[in-house]
Amino acid sequence: MKRRHLIAATAALAAGLVAAPVAMADDWPTRPLTMVIGFAPGGSTDIQGRVLANVMEEYLGQPVNVVNQPGGGSAVAFTRLANTAADGYTFLFGGTTALTFTPIITEVEYEIDNFEYLAAVAVGQNAIVTSAEQPFQTFDEIIEHGRENPMTYAQQTALDEAIIRAIAAEEGLDLAIVPTGGGGGMAPLVLGREVDFAYSGGTHAQYTPTGEMVVAAFMSAERSPFYEDVPTLIELGYNYSIEDYRTIIVPQGVPDNVRERLIGAAEHASQAQAFIDITEGNTFFPVVFIGQEEMEENVRRIRAATEEVMAD
Amino acid sequence: MDFSAVGAAAAEALTLASFIGIGGGVLLGYVVGVIPGLSRSVAISIAIPMTFYMSPYIAISFLIGLSKGTAAGSAVSAILLNAPGEASSAATALDGYPMAKQGKPKTALQIGLIASVMGDILATIILIFVAIPFARVALLFGPYEMAAILAFALVFIAGLSGGNIFKGLAAGGLGIFLGTVGLDNQTGLPRLTFGYTELMDGMPLIAVAIGTLALSEMFVQSEKLRYERADMAVQMKHDPNDRITWPIFRRILPTILRGTGVGTFVGALPGLGPSVGSFMSYGMAQKAAAEPEKFGKGEPKGIAASESADNAVIPAALIPLFGLGIPGNVSAALLIGAFAIHGITVGPLLLRDNPELLYSIFAGMILASIIMLVLGWYGLMVFAQITRVPPHVVIPIVIFFCLAGMMLQGYGTFGLVILMAFAALGYLMKKYDYSFVTFLVAFIITPMLELNLRQSIILSRGNWEILLNRPIALVFIVCTLLALVALILRTIKTGKPVAGAPAD
Repeated sequence: MKRRHLIAATAALAAGLVAAPVAMADDWPTRPLTMVIGFAPGGSTDIQGRVLANVMEEYLGQPVNVVNQPGGGSAVAFTRLANTAADGYTFLFGGTTALTFTPIITEVEYEIDNFEYLAAVAVGQNAIVTSAEQPFQTFDEIIEHGRENPMTYAQQTALDEAIIRAIAAEEGLDLAIVPTGGGGGMAPLVLGREVDFAYSGGTHAQYTPTGEMVVAAFMSAERSPFYEDVPTLIELGYNYSIEDYRTIIVPQGVPDNVRERLIGAAEHASQAQAFIDITEGNTFFPVVFIGQEEMEENVRRIRAATEEVMAD
Repeated sequence: MDFSAVGAAAAEALTLASFIGIGGGVLLGYVVGVIPGLSRSVAISIAIPMTFYMSPYIAISFLIGLSKGTAAGSAVSAILLNAPGEASSAATALDGYPMAKQGKPKTALQIGLIASVMGDILATIILIFVAIPFARVALLFGPYEMAAILAFALVFIAGLSGGNIFKGLAAGGLGIFLGTVGLDNQTGLPRLTFGYTELMDGMPLIAVAIGTLALSEMFVQSEKLRYERADMAVQMKHDPNDRITWPIFRRILPTILRGTGVGTFVGALPGLGPSVGSFMSYGMAQKAAAEPEKFGKGEPKGIAASESADNAVIPAALIPLFGLGIPGNVSAALLIGAFAIHGITVGPLLLRDNPELLYSIFAGMILASIIMLVLGWYGLMVFAQITRVPPHVVIPIVIFFCLAGMMLQGYGTFGLVILMAFAALGYLMKKYDYSFVTFLVAFIITPMLELNLRQSIILSRGNWEILLNRPIALVFIVCTLLALVALILRTIKTGKPVAGAPAD
């Protein structure tokens, strides 16, 4: 929470500083923009993106059209983006795992340096969840139960599987890991108690309010403000995390005035009530504003850390 | 049930705005459904931005109306052109097109419409009064049960193709093979993508469906037109006998009820989808019929079975959505997004926190069905005029829509190449009498079957005995084996086994 205040303060300060040049670059954009979403309609990225597009529209004075380009966990969208003119009229909104993780396990036609990371407006939520009807509720209880009994875990990516495998090996668990094909496939397995615990990339927001699902631990680097009592894996003594930021991304080399306008729009969105309401209230993603410099650094740092985990 | 809430809901459902919203959804869906090549996903991608400017109730009813409209509309192109707009209407074409060619296009369309609307309304009623409290039953269907049901559906639908079981197995095998293309869902490693990012999520379903169903049919019809001068166009005569009559309705009523049951069951289990529903229903109607040999030659029951189940799946897919918060299919997943944009989380809490909204949606769904009946009834007179247009005009237009529909999916030129490849494949399969229906259903089912089978094997740790504790799965496995044996026996009995084919 402290970090958010700090970020908000910096953002406000930055807003004051950039106000003057913005006025000069006001002539951009002169035609409608396209926001690319690398997932199918209906998911958390799509929901946040559509509200974000509406809010950015207010700031930019031109319509922002949302285009869904699903496939390969956004890899298809990034491939297209890498081959798009760097004029800022087409930008992508979404998480960064297609850059920090996907290229490690499969060949893709883009690299981190093909893009610029203008601003992050929400922090990804990666959790370990279990059913409220299980005899274990916290991560420690899961481990304790697992020392005596064979356990099952539902994965969604090779990355969360690698982390859980490493922890299971450390703790001496007998663990079977099944694929789920995404959050929609995870929920019935957990609620029907077909698996003991599972990874959730945000789907839990739909099931924790009813008390059917509980979050045992966060894989993110920091605790979620919406589940203040749930610790992170790092706090529990396991040195693993999955960090992800919902970021506005453009091809490398956009003109300076365009960059400023888009960053300004992102900042405006991070303070807009409509965006905060939906993102925090419905998808349980904390809204932030992280500027370009920090995001460029974040993406490269996360990539290096992920390579280390996957090397094991 | 809280009656003041129900009253308020009914009041909202009957405002002018909701009439326009829902009617607009049904109309848009119906028109898109009628045009071969444009499918539900196209209709929904056009519609989503529109919903931003509507109240949550109208937005959601609009989207539900849209789904219903496409399901009913796609029957029209299946019946009149033999070019179904959706895989789920392919079963409708099996009897609808022959019936239309026999000079009864209007009867066929009316049967399709009435079966659609009845399946729709009955399934909606089941959803409202029965299913939501029992939505948790769906959780009894874990990976073991789903894998067994999918395997059963595959074999059962392969049996519908008639003819040679070995050709059927070849077609199904090809569907399974192509269904495995894409990223492995556990390791994330690419399978058979040959470096194309576009193939990471598998062969695009839309390209496979439009190619094998609609585009290939246009090739077949062009060829007929060129070489046989066959008057393959359906003729609409001013025949007073070409309409649905009370005896026909009485004859198909049990089929509609059965189809609704099958559709509701399939819809309530997340992930099976309308094509499984319509083909299962078609197959069951054929098995139950006194004269099964009439199926495929213009049997009204065939149309009724397919369309009632196809439409029943749509409201039934909302059972797991409203009861458990689990989307049953793509359209239901989109509804989650539509709700969320309006600040509402879908799931069991909706009934507790926003009962008025839920009842309004139910009222809107019933209204959508009624609008669909009226619109469809008069609309089919308009759409039936298609039959007056000569085939050399219709064929290029349909081909254009197929290509345009593919472009709208955002795959670019790559998508068109894939579409053409599957159109060629579909053409060859039709020409050499390999069941393209078996191929398509196998292709659609494979990713689900693979995932559930894999989950079952891993969760059971390879121990077969776990099935003894899963009676539902066991029943479906036994049924699958029986169906397979019956099919092989049928091929041998009808007397044309492939020469020298091994007996196993």
